[in-house]
Amino acid sequence: MSVEIDYIAHNNKFTNIDSKIKSITAISLILIALILSMPIVSIFVLLIAIFLTLFAGIPYKFYLKFLSVPLIFSLITFIFMAFFFGSGDILWNSGISFIVIRIDGLELAINTFLRIVACFSSLGFLALTTPITDILNILSKLRVPKLLLEIAMLMYTTIFLFFSQIEAMKNAQSTRLGYYGFKNSYRSLGVLISNLFFRSLDKSDKLQISLDSRGFSGSFHIYDR
Amino acid sequence: MHIMEGFLPWYWCVFWFVVSIPVIAYGIYKIKKVTDETPESKSLLAVSGAFMFVLSSLKIPSVTGSCSHPTGNGLGATLFGPAVASVLALIVLLFQAILLAHGGLTTLGANVFSMGIVGPFVAWLIYKLLNKTGINSAISIFFAAFLGDLLTYVTTAIQLSLAFPQPSFTSALSVFMGIFAVTQIPLAIAEGLLTVVIWNGLTSYKPYLLEKLKVLNPKENSSSKTES
Repeated sequence: MSVEIDYIAHNNKFTNIDSKIKSITAISLILIALILSMPIVSIFVLLIAIFLTLFAGIPYKFYLKFLSVPLIFSLITFIFMAFFFGSGDILWNSGISFIVIRIDGLELAINTFLRIVACFSSLGFLALTTPITDILNILSKLRVPKLLLEIAMLMYTTIFLFFSQIEAMKNAQSTRLGYYGFKNSYRSLGVLISNLFFRSLDKSDKLQISLDSRGFSGSFHIYDR
Repeated sequence: MHIMEGFLPWYWCVFWFVVSIPVIAYGIYKIKKVTDETPESKSLLAVSGAFMFVLSSLKIPSVTGSCSHPTGNGLGATLFGPAVASVLALIVLLFQAILLAHGGLTTLGANVFSMGIVGPFVAWLIYKLLNKTGINSAISIFFAAFLGDLLTYVTTAIQLSLAFPQPSFTSALSVFMGIFAVTQIPLAIAEGLLTVVIWNGLTSYKPYLLEKLKVLNPKENSSSKTES
């Protein structure tokens, strides 16, 4: 999933557009939806975000997959808020004492749901069209401490190595019935994670050596598009 | 656990950013001091941050049938201390927002407060307290991870009910707490158990590493030395 998103962020029609423009667009869309907090505005923002993302040539299947997780969560939130919130007139009574839908609760639920959907699709636009390196670059211009960004940068490169290691280890474990049954899965997952931790410490030594041997002076220079 | 992008009204977003920034700034200051002394620690921090991120992408088999992911906060905080863990959690949360659509940019402040500050701090405190009493470190790490998780959920519930005081703060809090109690306590126990398994792996294979990080109490240090 993460590997795929990195590839897509590097290969779409908007990759070469100045990342400042993309991030300002996304952030201002989020802020408009958040501060105005009106259903009509949220729908408008949502449509703009979807249009921009698909216009950038993001495969719509991947876009749907990316949005599905937050969408499911926001639907749960919507149902939850509609049923439990509010104190006004009762719109619909299920017959069970406290499960009722009230008008103001439903209004709040709809408003919040649309706001969340609008905001995360705007965030999705930024995430899918802009590589992480560009986002870190913008953050450095915003005077975010360099140390933080360096660690973030080193972290980002390491994540992908870990994912491939996990895949290999998980395969090895499951071919030996490591995930058969509840107790086994716990043991296997625990062994996998502790092993990963040793490997990560080992990896950090090697990373430091490779950084030193290339004359790492404490800052990464990222090509600014 | 993660508060989604756009869920909180804007003034609460600002509020949680204001609360979280000083702690993060202190954490960065601490990391700076460490990295100035030993430049090698930068790669160690980066790799352990990546470890935390990867942990959050693994699914725990959970009792309720649903799957959830470990946060790794308890482990991170006991290994590196709460201030450092909070900075790592900030980066992890930023990556989660951008790469996995968990959480968000505007709710980053609130999420950092619950998952990056309260959780690790509680876990670290509990681990230190229990360790002083001389209890087996596996038991202390269980309670550290379990309570760290639990208080993270409590904090999230408080944050949500502050943002949506409908009809009042206390009644909203009781609703949120009720839902979290049903869904999240099993997950917190699951993470606690998993952390113990990881911890056993760490202590049995490479105890000298934990000694270097100064997390085991002296009693267990000596016993592990004599065994090996």
